[in-house]
Amino acid sequence: MSGRNDLSAVACCEGLSKVFGTNEHQTAAVRDVTLQAYAGEIILLLGPSGSGKTTLLTLLAGLSRPTSGRVLLFGKDIESYSSRELQQVRARRIGFIFQTFLLIDSLTALENVEIVLRFNGRGRGERRKRARQLLGDFGIGHLEGKFPRTMSQGEKQRVAIARAIGNDASLILADEPTGSLETKQGFGVIELLRRLAKDQGRCVIVASHDLRLREFADRIFRFEDGRLQPDAA
Amino acid sequence: MDMYALRTLRSQPVRLLLTIGGVALCIILMLFLLSVYRGAADGSVDYIRRNKADLWVLQRNATNILRGSSFLSASQAERVAAVPGVEKVSSVLFLLSTIKKGGNVRTVFLTGFEPESGLGGPPQFVRGRNVRGDDEIVLDKSFTQKFHFEVGDEVNLQGRPLKVVGISAWTNAFVIQYAFVTLRFARELIGFPSLATCFLVRIKEGADPGDIQSRIRAELPGLEVYDHPTFLENNIREMKSGFLPLLYTVAAIGAIVLTVILSLLLSVNILERRKDFAILKTIGSPLPFLWGMVVKQAVLISSASSLAALAAFFPLVRLIERVSPEVSTKSTAGQIAAVIMAVGLMSLLSSGISIRRLRRIYFLEAFQ
Repeated sequence: MSGRNDLSAVACCEGLSKVFGTNEHQTAAVRDVTLQAYAGEIILLLGPSGSGKTTLLTLLAGLSRPTSGRVLLFGKDIESYSSRELQQVRARRIGFIFQTFLLIDSLTALENVEIVLRFNGRGRGERRKRARQLLGDFGIGHLEGKFPRTMSQGEKQRVAIARAIGNDASLILADEPTGSLETKQGFGVIELLRRLAKDQGRCVIVASHDLRLREFADRIFRFEDGRLQPDAA
Repeated sequence: MDMYALRTLRSQPVRLLLTIGGVALCIILMLFLLSVYRGAADGSVDYIRRNKADLWVLQRNATNILRGSSFLSASQAERVAAVPGVEKVSSVLFLLSTIKKGGNVRTVFLTGFEPESGLGGPPQFVRGRNVRGDDEIVLDKSFTQKFHFEVGDEVNLQGRPLKVVGISAWTNAFVIQYAFVTLRFARELIGFPSLATCFLVRIKEGADPGDIQSRIRAELPGLEVYDHPTFLENNIREMKSGFLPLLYTVAAIGAIVLTVILSLLLSVNILERRKDFAILKTIGSPLPFLWGMVVKQAVLISSASSLAALAAFFPLVRLIERVSPEVSTKSTAGQIAAVIMAVGLMSLLSSGISIRRLRRIYFLEAFQ
C-alpha cells in the first residue's frame, strides 16, 4: 500500500482481515480486503447481513483492530495513532450514521446534533448556532426541541445525518442508513448522502443491502463471506 | 448534554426516589449520630461544667467520675480543708442506685452532696427546690419526663421512701441521669458513714490554685487534685473514648451503605444506557466527558438527598427527643457541613466505582 493514491485517500486498507473467536471457533468477518476511498465519492458496500460490511466500517474508523493488514486513515497508519488521537479523529473528522439512527433518547434533536460539536471543543453559543443551522439545512429546524421518541423514522435519520456532519467530517461511514426507512424516506436520505459527497466533497462509505443505493454510488463492491469484490451488475 | 445526567435519572422516577430516600436516610443516620454524640459528650459533663469548684480531689489514679472509682474518707476531707488557702471542701458521693415507683424500677446516678455547701448539687432547677432533708430527692428533667415523675411524688429508693422536691437541668448523662440526695442519706444507704467519691474545693480569693494543688498532693500523697478545666477535659475524654468508637463504626456503616446504594444506581444506569455510552464513545466522546456525566448524576442524587435529609432531620430529632427525653442532641453548622462534605466524597467514590463499568462498554455495541 504505497504511492500517491493511497496517501491522498481519505481512508484506505490493504490485505485487511478480521477474525473473531479463538481456535476451532474462529470466524473471519473480513478477509484480505483492499480498498481506497477518496474525497467527494460515494462507495457502496453491498452484501447480506453478516457478510462483514459493518466490520469493515469499524476497522476503517479504528474502532476495532484488524487481525492482519493495514489501514491508512487520513494518510496515516492507524496503528501509529494513539487512542486519544483516534478519539479526536472520530470527534473531528469522521461522521457515523447507523441503521437504527442511534440518537440519544434523553436529548432533543438540537442536543443530539450539538453533542458532537462539544467533542470538537466548540463553545456553547457556537455549538447551538451550528446545530440549528444544520437542522435547518436538512429541513427539520422545527424539530429542535423534540425528543427522538416523538419523531418519525425519516426525521430521526435526518437528525442522525446532521449529527454525523456536525463536526465537518470529511469521512462519513453509514451503516444501513436506509434500513429502517420507507422507500420515500430512504430516497430522501440517499439524496442527502449524495449531496454530502458531491456538493461538499466528503467521502461517503455506505454499507447496505439496499439495491436502490446502486444508482447513487460512484463505486460499488459486493461483500460475500468477508471478501470484497467489485460489483458486476 | 448537561441535561443528559438529569434526564436519564428522571426517566426512572421510582428508582430515583427510592435512591434519594435511601441516601437521605444514610445522611440522617450520620447527622443523628453526630448530634447524639455532641449532645451526649456535652450533656454528660454539664454537671461538672456547671459546678464551679476550683479544684476536684479524687483518689490517686482516678481521673474522672464517669467511668472511674475513687474512695475517699471524711478525715481526708478535714485534712484538705486544713491546707492553707482552702476556703471550703464539700464531699460528694456518687452511687448507682435504683428508684422504684409503682411496679417500675429505674436506675439513677445517685449523687449525695452537702446542700448547705453550695457545691456538688443540681446545677439548675426546672421546678421545685433543692433537697433540705434526708427524705428528699431531686430528679433530672429528662428522667422525670421519660418516667412521668413530678414534684411531690413519693419514690422508693432501695426500700426508703423519698419525696421528689425538685427537678433539675444539666443532669442528663445520656446513658444515665443524676438524682440528688443528701450526703448523709447516700452514706447511710451503702453503710459507710464517712465515704466520699470526691471533694469539691473552693479556694480563698487571691490564692494560687497551682500552689494549693501542690500542697494537697504533698500533704495527702494518696489523692489526686485537678483544676476545673483539667477535670472537665478528663471527663470529656473519658466520655469520648467510650462513645466515639461505637458512633464512628455506625456512622461508617451508614457511609458505606450510602456509597453502595449510590454505586448501585449509577452502575444500573450505566448498564441500562450502555448503548448510549457506546454511541458516544463511537462518535468521539473523550472518556473524561463520560466520567463527568456519571459524576454529575452522583452529585445530583447526593444533593437532592442532602436537601431531603436536612428537611427531615430537625423534625425527626424533635420527635425522638419527645419520645425519648433522655436522648439529648446538639447539631452545629460545622457538623452538618462535615456530613455534607463526607456525602460529597462518598458520591465521588461511588462515581469512581461505577465509572469502571464504562471501560467495559465497547464501540462495537453501537453497531449491534
